[in-house]
Amino acid sequence: MMNVIQSHIMRMTVGMLACVMMCACMEWNYGKVEDFDSPDRGLFIVNEGNFQYGNATLSFYNPATDSVDNEVFFRANGMKLGDVAQSMTIHDGLAWVVVNHSHVVFAIDVDTYRERGRIAGLTSPRYIHFVSDTKAYITQLWDNRIAVVDPTRYEITGYIDVPAMNQATGSTEQMVQVGRYVYVNCWSYQNRILKIDTTTDAVVDELTVGKQPNSLVADKYNRLWTITDGGYEGSPEGQERPALYCINLGVFEVDAKYEFYMGDTPSELAINGEGDAIYWINNDVWRMPVEDTRLPLRPLVRNRTTLYYGLTVDPETDEVYIADAIDYQQPGMVYRYSADGVLKDSFTVGITPGAFCWKR
Amino acid sequence: MDLLRGCISVVAVWAVCMNAYGQRTIELPEVTTNGVRPMSDIGVQRTVLDSLALKENVALSIADVLAYNSSLFVKNYGRATQSTVAFRGTSPAHTTVTWNGMNINTPMLGMTDFSLIPAYFIDEASLLHGTSSVNLSGGGLGGAVQLATRPKDEDGWGLQYVQGIGSFSTFDEFLRVNYGKGGWHTSTRVVYSSSPNDYKYRNRDKKENIYDDDHNIVGQYHPWERNRSGAYKDLHLLQEVYYTTGKGDDAGLKLWYLDSNRELPMLTTDYGDDSEFENRQRERTFRGVLSWQHRRRGYKIEADGGYAYTRMAYDYRRDSGNGVLAVMTRSRSRSHTIYGNVAADMYVGRKWVISASVKAHQYFVRSEDANPFEGVGGNQIFGYDKGRVELTGAVSAKWRPTERIGLSAVLREEMVGREFSPVIPALFLDYTLVPRYNVVLKASGSRNYRYPTLNDMYFVPGGNPRLTHESGWTYDAGVQFAVGKSGRYALSGSATWFSSYIDDWILWLPTTKGFFSPRNVKSVHAYGVEVKADMTMALGRGWHAGVDGSYSWTPSINKGDKYSPADNSQGKQLPYVPRVSASVNARLTWKNWTLHYKWLHYSQRYTMTDNSASLTGTLPPYYMNNVSLEKLFEWRRLDLSVKVAVNNLFNEEYLSVLSRPMPGTNFEIFFSVTPKL
Repeated sequence: MMNVIQSHIMRMTVGMLACVMMCACMEWNYGKVEDFDSPDRGLFIVNEGNFQYGNATLSFYNPATDSVDNEVFFRANGMKLGDVAQSMTIHDGLAWVVVNHSHVVFAIDVDTYRERGRIAGLTSPRYIHFVSDTKAYITQLWDNRIAVVDPTRYEITGYIDVPAMNQATGSTEQMVQVGRYVYVNCWSYQNRILKIDTTTDAVVDELTVGKQPNSLVADKYNRLWTITDGGYEGSPEGQERPALYCINLGVFEVDAKYEFYMGDTPSELAINGEGDAIYWINNDVWRMPVEDTRLPLRPLVRNRTTLYYGLTVDPETDEVYIADAIDYQQPGMVYRYSADGVLKDSFTVGITPGAFCWKR
Repeated sequence: MDLLRGCISVVAVWAVCMNAYGQRTIELPEVTTNGVRPMSDIGVQRTVLDSLALKENVALSIADVLAYNSSLFVKNYGRATQSTVAFRGTSPAHTTVTWNGMNINTPMLGMTDFSLIPAYFIDEASLLHGTSSVNLSGGGLGGAVQLATRPKDEDGWGLQYVQGIGSFSTFDEFLRVNYGKGGWHTSTRVVYSSSPNDYKYRNRDKKENIYDDDHNIVGQYHPWERNRSGAYKDLHLLQEVYYTTGKGDDAGLKLWYLDSNRELPMLTTDYGDDSEFENRQRERTFRGVLSWQHRRRGYKIEADGGYAYTRMAYDYRRDSGNGVLAVMTRSRSRSHTIYGNVAADMYVGRKWVISASVKAHQYFVRSEDANPFEGVGGNQIFGYDKGRVELTGAVSAKWRPTERIGLSAVLREEMVGREFSPVIPALFLDYTLVPRYNVVLKASGSRNYRYPTLNDMYFVPGGNPRLTHESGWTYDAGVQFAVGKSGRYALSGSATWFSSYIDDWILWLPTTKGFFSPRNVKSVHAYGVEVKADMTMALGRGWHAGVDGSYSWTPSINKGDKYSPADNSQGKQLPYVPRVSASVNARLTWKNWTLHYKWLHYSQRYTMTDNSASLTGTLPPYYMNNVSLEKLFEWRRLDLSVKVAVNNLFNEEYLSVLSRPMPGTNFEIFFSVTPKL
């Protein structure tokens, strides 16, 4: 009897092991390359992904058809966009996607999303701004230099040294050009707006504002607007009330300052196509005509336990697009509101949608 | 009486203990005819990792041992990088880990990096599943891992040296010198492992471009790359001294020092140049435990005291363009742990055991970053400097009213900082259904709590002092059996169903300020089935075979409220927790030859809370196969064994974590020399 049992056990064991050894291959989907031909007008959504997961993605929304294509970079190129996609700028038929923690800027065709080139060798790129067809600036974190690149050769050609900043405290962010000058907000542990002469590629002036100015726009009167987040509790640089600043570029001085409450987290300053109204996120979404002399009392779009993370305004219709990161660990949602704050559409995008770029 | 004699007098082969994973070796020994179930294990779901698994080769960490010998999911960030576990679908911080009684979960993060525990330093390892961990301490909402060292049971000098040489210029060295005389035993163990760890892999996340003269892309391909910035050097020293009177009094001193210097590997999606920066983590840890046991007829008292010190350093430095590496991040932390434990068991007649224990850990943690505005060496602390006492006490009663039934109740109370936990109750039951085949039914249930770690509360930036503790209910029930015939075969197995509800699950989430902060956000229902089996068999003519395996099915479901109407995570599996994990070990020996085959499977791990299937966030299931062949040469003055191990036999391209490459087929050869002194 025991021999029979032993024999059965042995056979079962050998069979099990054989099955086990045959199960030896991981099922990979390497991503087939797809052909795209996107419409002339639409909205790119840059989805950051999760830090150190390398799961940033790019989405494209067509407002005319209310349709969205997700993961278009991966689907068009058969490779990942990278780790923490930060921003995107379109110039001369190419979309430049800045992928912060992959230390790379990809140039893709705006219609097919196929890669046309890439700029590597960057410390921690954040935004790209085109001064001309042959010159662009790339701002960075962890670096006291703004990279000057030749977009035709995808090469770094030089650097703009930023005064009073070292590598550990280095932070240059968004760029706005008015005339020959490019203005840059310095965010992380910083409190300055830089003025760069594009003819000499040098910082020629700077303006001190509040702690951590995180975004920057110019209005129709060529005034700069920036929002500071005030730092955070326990920061070595301290914490203060966040504020909205209006800067007169003629004298490069603060024209007006509007303070928020301590602990508020205003961010994502945006402007409409006419340049006559600014928008930002501070839990809710707020709108303020640039002629106003005080902060609005009521928001344009109230928070619905959503986690608003990105904001843009359609430059042609003034419709407001708000990105909801939800829990940062699932595909986010973008809500499309009319100019007066009525919900018109919503669509699912990628993880942590943080930046937008209009194709028009 | 040191143990209450159990209900079963069975034909038990020593290779099969009451749990599926008993102490065993491939050779079948003489028959033990009297099975004894310790009262301390009434209703307890325990997995014992055998010495063959622990001492399989010098290159293994406890993370490797757990992956191939248990139902735990080991989340691995790469070869020789951080490895954490998900026990019954919970997070790494939900597994309590003790070394010789002292809790070694980091007080800052709450979890344990099992890649930093060499298996050759551990003589006894067992897992307490779910409720069973309440016997040890609170906080183990998933379970507990008990690791311990033990003296060698031999007098005179002993010496063993193992040299491992492997792929990627990997060198593993192990030395043990031990001496025993009378009641004294001493042992010194050293492990040193190093490797540039620059294994080659096909990078499926990137493409290299082929350009023409006008800088147009004319072709693309997935490049073969090497694991960059992944070098490591780990040194471990373990000194033990034991004394036994032989009359029931034992004392032991165990001192463990580790010095780890590891680079943090680059992601597959990183286009940076590894020659332009340094990303390095260093750890120095000392742990010491002094223990004493006093056993007499009818009672047992034990007392432990210990101290641990850990210094962690993280540096991120970059070339600023002038050839000088500028300090960008410089994090330092120091933690001191003072540990004490007193426990007593009292046997009342043959049917009762009353136990009580009090365990204390006092933590002092200083965690700081260099203030970027003061530079390195600045005076201002950019971090926190906190202390916290954690006290846990328990009383338990174990009762075996008849030979077949065992009942156990535990009441535990904890104090963390100045906060007392609600009482933690746990109930255990077992019943011997079929004595002949050792078929035993077990069931248990408990309440449990886990308190926020010091980083959860005080880390700068983001720490949240307003966090509340996590709380959970856990139940399990199962059946196990063991049969065998002396000298022929032994077969055992178990199957367990479990269910856990955890509320106020702490999760670190990003903030609009650009950093993460923890919040009590989730409610989780983790449930499932664990199955284990173990068989050894004498095949005749000197052949012996052994197979053991484990399988677990672990849905771990988010039951919390929706964050917002758009939230699709409700009712979904938690990210990075596979529903299915399985492992098999098969050994075949003939005379001095041993063939060992290891197999591991993890089902798909979701990377998103809504379990959506994306092209860029998928971790497909994978199967891992390792094989080794060992030959022992026995000579008059020494034994020499030569072992060749092949890992990832089928050269599978796989990932444990997104963007963290894993090595393909790799080899290591081990020479073990044991002089006969």
